[in-house]
Amino acid sequence: MDTLGYLIQGAQVAFQPMNLLFCFVGVLMGTLVGILPGLGPTAAIALLLPVSYHIPPVSTIIMLAGIYYGAMYGGSTTSILLNIPGEAASVITCIDGHQMAKKGRAGPALGIAAFGSFIAGTIGAIGIMLVAPPMAKFALAFGPAEYFALMLMGIVIIIYMSSGSILKDFLTALFGLLLGTIGMDTISGTQRLTFGVLELTDGIGFIPAVMGLFGISEILINVEQVVVTTLVTEKVKGLLPNLNDWKESFWPMIRGTVLGFFIGVLPGPAPVISTYSSYAMEKKLSKTPEKFGTGYIVGVAGPEAANNAASSGAMIPLFTLGIPSNSVIAVLLGAFMIHGLQPGPMFISKYPDVFWATIVSMYLGNVILLILNLPLIPLWVKVLKVPYAILFPLILVFCLIGVYSLNFSQVEIGLMIGFGVLGYMMRKFKFETPPLILALVLGPMMESNLRLSLLLSQGDPTVFVRRPISAVFILVSAMLIVSSLIPGIQKRRARLK
Amino acid sequence: MVSFLIHEKSEGEAMKRNDLIGGLFFLGVGLLFTLYSHRVEIGTWDEPGPGFLPFWAGMVVIGMSVLLIGKSLSRGGRTTESFFPQSDSWKRVVFTLLALVGYNFLLKPLGFVLVTFFFVGFLVKFIFPGSWKKAFIAALLSTVSVRLIFVNLLEINFPKGFLGF
Repeated sequence: MDTLGYLIQGAQVAFQPMNLLFCFVGVLMGTLVGILPGLGPTAAIALLLPVSYHIPPVSTIIMLAGIYYGAMYGGSTTSILLNIPGEAASVITCIDGHQMAKKGRAGPALGIAAFGSFIAGTIGAIGIMLVAPPMAKFALAFGPAEYFALMLMGIVIIIYMSSGSILKDFLTALFGLLLGTIGMDTISGTQRLTFGVLELTDGIGFIPAVMGLFGISEILINVEQVVVTTLVTEKVKGLLPNLNDWKESFWPMIRGTVLGFFIGVLPGPAPVISTYSSYAMEKKLSKTPEKFGTGYIVGVAGPEAANNAASSGAMIPLFTLGIPSNSVIAVLLGAFMIHGLQPGPMFISKYPDVFWATIVSMYLGNVILLILNLPLIPLWVKVLKVPYAILFPLILVFCLIGVYSLNFSQVEIGLMIGFGVLGYMMRKFKFETPPLILALVLGPMMESNLRLSLLLSQGDPTVFVRRPISAVFILVSAMLIVSSLIPGIQKRRARLK
Repeated sequence: MVSFLIHEKSEGEAMKRNDLIGGLFFLGVGLLFTLYSHRVEIGTWDEPGPGFLPFWAGMVVIGMSVLLIGKSLSRGGRTTESFFPQSDSWKRVVFTLLALVGYNFLLKPLGFVLVTFFFVGFLVKFIFPGSWKKAFIAALLSTVSVRLIFVNLLEINFPKGFLGF
């Protein structure tokens, strides 16, 4: 079957009323969590994982993917109206977006953010469709050594991209790897560190861990202080950007889309990086760089397109290699695995309905978002007025009920609270959580591929550098580690002088 | 020689305390996994056992945490950064945590409906102090909503408690 045939097949699945409904629910939820400060897409997907138990796999993936790119849309609303980013990828939108709102141009700012996101999301979905199948074919040549090296590279890249200390990030990644070994060893059947707790036999539950690390810890950080915000409350009008706005924004949106998509394919917090890169690029290319920061529409259009395109690009390593490139995708990978779907090179050929239906749903979702985002803005403004004092108990109840409903286990609630405290302490002590969650998800796969590689090579660890593809991954990892250390050496030398 | 490994991409001298506590925590983690791996089979390089990865990863964690501790001890200056942003922040964090633990303990004896009502009411009333009326309405509305969604719509069975609902 050719691409068009698969696309039609995917459309048949995506257009089923139930899948349409879940696509709608996903983008609506995504927009909502994007709008609400203090609740990111990672936490939102984690919160909805328990609910997804009761939903068919295709519908689950459609809904959760919708949350991811929906959050990218929603984040801009809070940035523009409140000057607080709804989620990390909208930080840069605050700069010019809120300035526009203060000048009475909140409407065009929200409008161009919605159109930019729509254009980028649509082009991004086409990009996945074109890039993912050939990439999956290439990945068919992978053996256990290549997989191990690739996953290692994924973890090294996320460490490299994170803002903390290299040593601390390695420690958290190794901690995630070790936590992933708890439970029954899949090769020998031996119980490891379960202490007779039945719930730990299958390993640390991914959902309690993620909900604790991202949901509970986020709430604990947020309840620390009362944040006073200034909401632009005057009636938002004139959402459609004028001709001049379009003329100024068109190419920044296209450039942001291309840049965001390719940054998205690389492991790391792509949507966040893409917005900064797009903003910097537009400022550099602009004939009037002094306008940036004063409420210039280009400063909204480029980054908003970039973060949406990046969220599409980030789907490629997930679908083709089974490698999550950031923490949101790691949670999404967990959702795939919960439903018995194993993303990787065989995924597209094994589950064409899921893959192509997700692609089609992304087109659909972007249309729904455009329709939702513009007329529903007054509603989102009302949502932003709900005080956090009312909101956070509801989020906590959702966490508690969600985890309990998985296996009706209070041990898992305890695990979630434990991970919540761990995540909170990690944030307080400036340890990054994404390397931990990525290693926790990849850990069991890494372990089995490592042991298989060593078994097949009769204990020869050079197997990872003797095989060419694996050697490239190891080389890239080594280069990243060395390059991140060089400034350290320089700094040290300078201090000695 | 090895201290260049501890290059930080973001600056901050107030990290001394953070790194010391973090280093000690990870040292404990490393020791736990390394020692435990001896109780299951570590195996050899050509036949790695279930303790292979925990052992070697644990050893690396021990090495790195010692580096982190060493670095934090050698760093001069006193930390001026407070652990909590406001003087009463700790109360909100601790009471929220206690409420979570309490929910877990009381879920079976009180039942899902009552424990959810008290949980929401407590948090709304005491964390960012609000009126009793506001707490009561928030608790009532949220309990009714989650009861309708999770029990009536999704048909999930939650503990009913001594009152039978």
